[in-house]
Amino acid sequence: MSGKGGRRHRGHHDKDKINLGDKGKEVLENIDDNNIIVQQFRGYAAELDAKHDRYERIFKINRDVGIESKRIIFLLHTIDKESKRNVVLDAAKSRLDNMARTLFKDIANELNGQDAYQFHRAYRAGLEEYVEALTFHEYLQNGEMQDCTKLESALTYHTTPTDSTEQSITRKVMVTPTDYILGIADLTGELMRKCINNLAIGDISSCYQTCNFVRKIYVAFLGYTSVAFSNEMNKKIFTLKQSLTKMENACYTIKVRGSEIPKHMLADVAIVAAEEYATEDDEGYQAF
Amino acid sequence: MSTRITDIFNSFQDYLNNEQEIREQIRVIVKDIEKSARDILMILQNIHNTVYDAVNENIIVAEYCTKAREIFGEVRIQYANLAKVVPNNQYYRYHDQWRFVTQRLCFLVALVIYLEIKVLVTKDTVAEILGVKDNREEGFHLDLEDFLLGLLQLSSELSRFAVNSVTNGDYDRPIEIARFVNELNAGFRLLNLKNDMLRKRFDALKYDVKKIEEVVYDLCIRGLKPSPRPTEETPTV
Repeated sequence: MSGKGGRRHRGHHDKDKINLGDKGKEVLENIDDNNIIVQQFRGYAAELDAKHDRYERIFKINRDVGIESKRIIFLLHTIDKESKRNVVLDAAKSRLDNMARTLFKDIANELNGQDAYQFHRAYRAGLEEYVEALTFHEYLQNGEMQDCTKLESALTYHTTPTDSTEQSITRKVMVTPTDYILGIADLTGELMRKCINNLAIGDISSCYQTCNFVRKIYVAFLGYTSVAFSNEMNKKIFTLKQSLTKMENACYTIKVRGSEIPKHMLADVAIVAAEEYATEDDEGYQAF
Repeated sequence: MSTRITDIFNSFQDYLNNEQEIREQIRVIVKDIEKSARDILMILQNIHNTVYDAVNENIIVAEYCTKAREIFGEVRIQYANLAKVVPNNQYYRYHDQWRFVTQRLCFLVALVIYLEIKVLVTKDTVAEILGVKDNREEGFHLDLEDFLLGLLQLSSELSRFAVNSVTNGDYDRPIEIARFVNELNAGFRLLNLKNDMLRKRFDALKYDVKKIEEVVYDLCIRGLKPSPRPTEETPTV
């Protein structure tokens, strides 16, 4: 504490000498635990620590959510033949549900009684990833997209206190529509991959189907005034456009050259065509 | 299928529009608050050029404080309006919009309180003067970090004040400020800071402390002020 002052005094033993920093030293030495400022700040420190700790705890869960979601997406990509389909979908479904029951429940508990917006940034990334996995699963299962309310209700928890007959306590993870929409924007990257994979295994019809689905999403994204959009959103729409272009090129190649090339070679040709316009895509998992 | 997507995106658009509307309302109110904060700051700047007058000193300063407090009355009304616009439990959704002006006002309250009674203001007092709640649970409140950032603005203002006090012939003031800012510094050292804005501003506090120490040193060494009692020297050889 007084190290700075002490160094300056080194070698001087004249007690009457005035030194720079004397006042500071004097004040610091007179401060004890009963000092009113010290006591005030003890309280502030406790409050600040509590907030930071909570944030970090949520952030840790967020990372787990992100990692598991990414793995589920990889799992969903392994569907390559009809016989495997149901097994994989069921496995993915149960893992998704499991996350809602465990990891998200932990977040909900942390958020209980708090202003969720204060900690929103801590779990946003993981949540978006989860939305991506969830909607991907939904698309593969039903060829559809569900809306945000279903997810919201899945992440709302009712617990009945064991010691009383009072009504149940509700805790939930706040999902903002923005999170959901950003998750959907990420989904299109996976759908592009899925489309190309389908081509490789010779499932041409679902290629067209997926391409159309992504196009609809793209059109929907275009319907906005860009005022409300963040930089992040604009970047995602740009990526979305790229994915869509790749898919459209692949579909084009299938159409024009489908009759002249044997089916097993068509895939390679179409994929090359798709990649022509593509710069690298950025779908690696990012923690931040 | 496509209607499904359209529905999802339409409701998203509604959500955005709604948010935009609230933000707009907040912006208008925050602008008013900013105006008040500027007015208070201008009044309080007068402390830097008030020539020292041992008899009337307190009266003059008290006058500025009274004027400032009048405007704080308006600020209270403005914050009450703001509290009405911000939906319950969504304080942090829009927090960015008023955090800077709130920090500024925390600083101004702290300065007024310091000039009046020479103590460090507490968070609940600031909350009371601004007409907001002290705790989040109670509604529209004062964020702790905003309050602390406000206090850090106080230290740089006081280091200027110490310098100008000397120019204006008040040699007691810097000694007092030195004590105060050193205590403030000791207080901030009790906090565990993350690598954020607060940390950055806290790192600047030591320069304010140093500046004030230099003023005190100049006064002491020229005999303009009795030297602060030299502390027990621990031999550091």
